[in-house]
Amino acid sequence: MLPNINVVSLVSVGRHPQSGRARRAEQDGRAVELGLNLAGNTLTVVHAGNAQEPVLRQYAGMGLPSLTVLAQESDCDALPALVSFLKDKHIDVVLTGVRAESGESSGMLPYLLAEQLGWPLVPRVAEILNIKEGEAEVLLALPRGQRRAVIVKLPFIASVDNAAQEARQTAFGPGLRADFKVLTLERVVDEAASQWQINIAKPRPKRLKVVKAKTAADRMKAATAKPVGGGGKIMKDETAAEKAQAIFDLLLEEKVVR
Amino acid sequence: MMLDWLPPTLIGVLLVLAGIGAVRRMNLWRAGQAEKVDILAGLLAMPKRYLHDLHHVVDRDKYISRTHVATGGGFVLAMVLVVFVHLFGIDSKILAWALLAALVMMFCGALFVYKRRLNPPSRLSKGPWMRLPKSLLTFSITFFVLTLPAAGVLPEGFGGWLLTLVLSALILMSLSEMLFGMTWGGPMKHAFAGALHLALHRRPERFGGGRSTGLKPAVLGETSHGVAKPTDFKWNQLLGFDACVQCGRCEAVCPAFAAGQPLNPKKLIQDMVVGFAGGTDENYAGSPYPNVEVGNAKGAPNQIITDGLIHPDTLWSCTTCRACVEECPMMIEHVDAIVDMRRFLTLEKGDTPNKGAQVLENIIATDNPNGYSPASRTHWTADQNLNLMKDVKQADVLFWVSDGAFDMRSQRILRAFVKLMKAANVDVAILGDEELDSGDVARRLGDDATFQSLAKRNLATLSKYQFNKIVTTDPHAFHCLKNEYGDFGSDALQNVEVLHHTTFLNQLVKDGRLQLDTFKGGKVTYHDPCYLGRYNGEYEAPRELLASLGIEVAEMERSGYRSRCCGGGGGAPITDIPSERRIADMRMEDVISTGADMVAVGCQQCTAMLEGVVEPRPVVKDIAEILAGQLIDRQSIEETH
Amino acid sequence: MSHFSSKDSSLDNLLRRDPRTEWIARNRLHPLHSSVVSAGQGEVRGSSGLLRKNPHVIGFIGPNGIKRIDRANLSSAGLNSKKRTGEAKETQRPLHIVENPDAYIMVVADMIGGRLTSHDKDILGLAHQLVAEGNQNTAVVLVCFGESKETQFDLAGVDRLIHLSADEFEGFAPEVRVAALIQIETQYRPEHWLFPDSVHGGSDLASRLAAKLGERPAAQAWQVTASTTTSRGASGSQDIRRETPRILMLMEECANAIEDTRHQVLPLDLSEEFIVPSGSCLLDKGQIEVDSNAVPLAEAEFILSAGNGIHNWDQFHSAAAALGATEGASRVAVDDGFMPRSRQVGASGTWVTARVYLAVGISGAIQHMQGIGQCDKVVAINTDAGCDMVKRADLAVIADSEAILEELTKLAQQYSLSKSQEEKSDAA
Repeated sequence: MLPNINVVSLVSVGRHPQSGRARRAEQDGRAVELGLNLAGNTLTVVHAGNAQEPVLRQYAGMGLPSLTVLAQESDCDALPALVSFLKDKHIDVVLTGVRAESGESSGMLPYLLAEQLGWPLVPRVAEILNIKEGEAEVLLALPRGQRRAVIVKLPFIASVDNAAQEARQTAFGPGLRADFKVLTLERVVDEAASQWQINIAKPRPKRLKVVKAKTAADRMKAATAKPVGGGGKIMKDETAAEKAQAIFDLLLEEKVVR
Repeated sequence: MMLDWLPPTLIGVLLVLAGIGAVRRMNLWRAGQAEKVDILAGLLAMPKRYLHDLHHVVDRDKYISRTHVATGGGFVLAMVLVVFVHLFGIDSKILAWALLAALVMMFCGALFVYKRRLNPPSRLSKGPWMRLPKSLLTFSITFFVLTLPAAGVLPEGFGGWLLTLVLSALILMSLSEMLFGMTWGGPMKHAFAGALHLALHRRPERFGGGRSTGLKPAVLGETSHGVAKPTDFKWNQLLGFDACVQCGRCEAVCPAFAAGQPLNPKKLIQDMVVGFAGGTDENYAGSPYPNVEVGNAKGAPNQIITDGLIHPDTLWSCTTCRACVEECPMMIEHVDAIVDMRRFLTLEKGDTPNKGAQVLENIIATDNPNGYSPASRTHWTADQNLNLMKDVKQADVLFWVSDGAFDMRSQRILRAFVKLMKAANVDVAILGDEELDSGDVARRLGDDATFQSLAKRNLATLSKYQFNKIVTTDPHAFHCLKNEYGDFGSDALQNVEVLHHTTFLNQLVKDGRLQLDTFKGGKVTYHDPCYLGRYNGEYEAPRELLASLGIEVAEMERSGYRSRCCGGGGGAPITDIPSERRIADMRMEDVISTGADMVAVGCQQCTAMLEGVVEPRPVVKDIAEILAGQLIDRQSIEETH
Repeated sequence: MSHFSSKDSSLDNLLRRDPRTEWIARNRLHPLHSSVVSAGQGEVRGSSGLLRKNPHVIGFIGPNGIKRIDRANLSSAGLNSKKRTGEAKETQRPLHIVENPDAYIMVVADMIGGRLTSHDKDILGLAHQLVAEGNQNTAVVLVCFGESKETQFDLAGVDRLIHLSADEFEGFAPEVRVAALIQIETQYRPEHWLFPDSVHGGSDLASRLAAKLGERPAAQAWQVTASTTTSRGASGSQDIRRETPRILMLMEECANAIEDTRHQVLPLDLSEEFIVPSGSCLLDKGQIEVDSNAVPLAEAEFILSAGNGIHNWDQFHSAAAALGATEGASRVAVDDGFMPRSRQVGASGTWVTARVYLAVGISGAIQHMQGIGQCDKVVAINTDAGCDMVKRADLAVIADSEAILEELTKLAQQYSLSKSQEEKSDAA
């Protein structure tokens, strides 16, 4: 935990991928976890939306004494309210998820906040290593568990990746008792979004393997040939060295041994 | 010099001191939470509870039951008579002779206690308990000699002041143990607290052959949930902890203890005593929690238990198999206490170990522990042609599928059971996607909020439909439905018979609705699932079913009410506390030692745990599967040909 | 079946009979008979199907005046029996030319490892779909940063190329890159900006540009026409239809890559010298070494997983280290305390997505097999040839694990040794 760092975590209402039920959003939960590790009890957690939303208790159950709600309707744009809440508040770090699990899920919110507040943004943060002398050293999550170290000036906005530390368990009791500070700031209806047609996602068609065959024989072949490698190769009687070589060749071919 | 006044004075003083101790001890208990108990009825019922229920449990070990009757009975009788004869000085030869007889009986009993203590089994606590037989012997001999003059065997004033002085010293010694020790925390405390515990037990239904196994619902919405400090227990739970005789029967049957997990039910109860009385566990003289040193635990009535008294791993090691409760002669409720403390860890601290947090999150978000899509609950029925309650609204039997619906292995059990029901032309329907997890796992993991939410929603669903029986293949769901859903003020299950599938199938077989072939697959043993056996007393139906196939069950040493847990209950596979051995492996060794080729089970969780043992091992099959394999069914014969 | 799938399929080289020619060759009264026969194709079949040759018509006069019979039939091109040539000739695709474009569509590629990804190519394909719908005289411009190893920009559909390869664009430099994009924006005012919606920087750059320009982009777009765009919302559970915005972050397989045309790949320049914006708030310290074993199991690319068949655990760990593999384990290995619970693979442990899963001494319980369902290549080392893991494996080795792991460790060490020597000699 670092002293005298003002950290704000922004949280939204998540959506469980299997049941579609509202839940603590995966990345937002991690943003709160990261915030708690940085700032402990001084962490401010902010939600723009409905203060009656039960899911907020799940965030509070992570051990937050209070939670700030910028009250607004579901058709409002969260950005203006958040900007007016965050500016002129001597905040050092704002943590968000990469993409919300509900709504447009465009992932634009941290970028727009950064643009409007004029702060730098670091995307997909896995860890904040330290904060000192007005700078923070952060680790960005790259695919396949790789990391990149970046130094960013305070104040900054970070979107927290799934590779960050998992959100701690939410406890029923503290969640129930947490104090909600409800603020009413600007409410701006998201006009553009009201023009959209929103439907339940259609399953995307799988891309067909179109065979660009020039001849009948090629087309025949493509239509009748079994995919190669239905059954695997089994090595039984070769020497250990040969078997190991076969495995190693496969590893090289797949480029996993570098 | 006349010292005749000395023995009565000593007796009187010690009685007063004992009285003071008793008040003090009661005040310790009263620091607990209020709980309504019918005190008068309890006290009146106490002798019967002692003589019948407690003795019934003690009697599983004939040696100690007889010893205890002689010693305990002799002592109680002798003590009462001592008060009359020596304190009040009532000059009655009859009373004196009666006292002599009681003391002889007690002496004989104490001899056997002494003999047992010469080379005590590891489960017994040592320390002060080792001096108890000596105190008992001293008491009986001393008062025997003291009473001889009153009985007229010896002349008054025999032995003079010297004997009186010697006897007084012995009286002081023995009565310090027997009276003072009783209320100030000595081994004899068990008699005093035990008697009151029997009278004021939190589950009076257990006496007289009854059964009370459902957990009590947590009150939600208060400033704290569960038991954080010793004083958060109900007062009669604290009293119950004090009743412990440290006989270690619980320790001997505890699967977690045997597996080397840091749990010993006896030590746990003693630590509870340390907690509400204050102090450390350095005087504890029994087996420790495996691999945990004794002497470092400190407790106080208002100190958080998991901060220094008990490590949370101890609480999470429990499989809630209830073997300790079943075995406890004092009818102490270990499982209640453990779950109470788990509730604090989960609901207040959010500290359920390992996969616990994820499982609870899944249950909350998807109503099943593994986070599967709630819409895939009925996928297994695609080829089963089962009625949905949603469509038919009523049926004779409601088949409660449970979360086995998501698991490929458990689905085989479900299919087998459906096949049997179809063969017997049972009017059956399922809830389909309307069914939710029963809440068993959530509740045992301490999340009573989620359990209650699931229970209420399930009850609301059930109340929409008409059915006479509800049958399930999952003993955990069976237990929740039968014993725990009743606390939520719904009449959905009123006049509904809740049955385990083995009970139900047994009825069908007895009614001749199932034609079964004789089983010729080798030797079979049967593993009693805890939640079917100890929790619900169903030991017979599975055995009768196996017998109906011509199977003579090769019983394991630990079967019936002594069955050893598979390790799958109470969320133990989820909290996954490190152990030296796996509980399932130990149970499989029990199976193998019978020489059986197959172990029959009545629970999908047990099936999963036992099948998790590395092969080669006996085959594991649910009774429904064995039955379905032996079904003589014209339809199925036609289908297979 | 199998000979269809084998690579030297005889379908290509089948002898093809021409019944008509055969019939003419048999029928001496046919007006074309003589020409067919005199063509030198002496294959005449008798009534029994035997090959009959007319010795008078076959053969030719050699250079030295002697009649020669060419029994191998080498000199003549087949008439009756055509042999298909195995190699289809690489046809030159037609060149798609855009002269003096009226408009531009910008595609900003991820270019992982300096090459276009299939995702990038799909987006180039989409860009051409948009061109086809609207003004045909629009150029698809590929904007790429950093070093490029791509040689086939032309086949991927790149009409114009803006290649920003200066050092300041290398690594993690979103602020500089966005500044460059803004300069492009002011100069070319493209119709659309297309980005891959990827974790490789595509969506980050797109979001930055959109925020700077004040445009509302569509993220996770997957069906795009010139007028409407359908994109996924609410974590993939909704489809949002709206007017196609200028900035799009596109999902994989949003369109088909270019397959039929070649493109010009003319370089396009920034009119003004690009000035690196001053006062950057981000400083890239580069990618850091990640211990392969510290990679979360679910993300690991290559997992060496141990089961009940492992007896020498030190050897297993050293093999994993030598191969640079992330360690996994079966439930039994975890239960027995040889591996931590966090390493357990399977339905009750972690679901893994490794490209290569090397299972040593794991027979493959159903829960385990569920957990490795998404792995591309599975290699099994096991003593039991009948176990489920061997059945699932793409390559299975039936042997004791200890010997194989020892050999593998050796191979890996040799390989890294030879590689480091190579590097040294490269550097020298």
